[in-house]
Amino acid sequence: MLGRDDVVKLVRAVAQTREIEIGCDECFDRLDGFAEAGFSGVDASAAMPLVRDHLDKCADCRGEFEALLRALRAT
Amino acid sequence: MRERTNEQWLTELRGPNPDAALADLYDLLARDLGAALGGYGGGVEANFGDFAQEALIKITANLDSFRGESRFTIWAKKIALNVALTELKRKRWRDVSLQELLARRGPAEAQPTAEQLALQSTVLRELRRVVDEELTDRQREAVVAVLLEGMPISEVARRMGTTQNALYKLLYDARKRLKRQMEAAGLSAEEVLAVFDEG
Repeated sequence: MLGRDDVVKLVRAVAQTREIEIGCDECFDRLDGFAEAGFSGVDASAAMPLVRDHLDKCADCRGEFEALLRALRAT
Repeated sequence: MRERTNEQWLTELRGPNPDAALADLYDLLARDLGAALGGYGGGVEANFGDFAQEALIKITANLDSFRGESRFTIWAKKIALNVALTELKRKRWRDVSLQELLARRGPAEAQPTAEQLALQSTVLRELRRVVDEELTDRQREAVVAVLLEGMPISEVARRMGTTQNALYKLLYDARKRLKRQMEAAGLSAEEVLAVFDEG
């Protein structure tokens, strides 16, 4: 079932696993504050490390965050 | 559009005459959805006006959940983008079934070099065992679809009859289980990646 590419993907995902992670709901709740902080020059990743960590792992939430940044840049 | 403070947005949208605020918010969302998602790939047709309308319903129904951690308009855009991207992902993946993803996984590819063979063989055997025997059927289905095939979590969650948040938790539990099993087998992620990435 698993090929070598799968192993790399799987082990990378495992290597990123932390004891404490937040889920998509909590990330979404805080995403507007995270985006606005980053946009106004605050180090949002340092202020909200669990949000940053979730965005690094979750392509869905990262996609929404990047789209939100594009929307903010456009205005 | 008239500038409003967060408080003004909330007061108008909750008040007896929300039409002007709703119209302004609709224009703002439709415009910014286009700016943010205009290049969305996959040949998916997007009607940003419809998304903005759907988002308005969700926003006005959830005003109490606005925590004031950003400008109101950024919070509203976040919700609109979630509405739009969820639908766009559904359309983009509509022709792919989870069963196909599981079924089309073939055997391992080309054999590695001789000195890598022993470790690769151990890792493959152990990971296959964990995935096949220690993950639940739902964890295995989610791992294949999301981590290996790159399908969006929201879309896999919808098909599995659960929420995006619950599916993330399911994957988190699966990753933790894999991590514990790798540690028990004496396999470090760095070592495994080095030997497979170079293969």
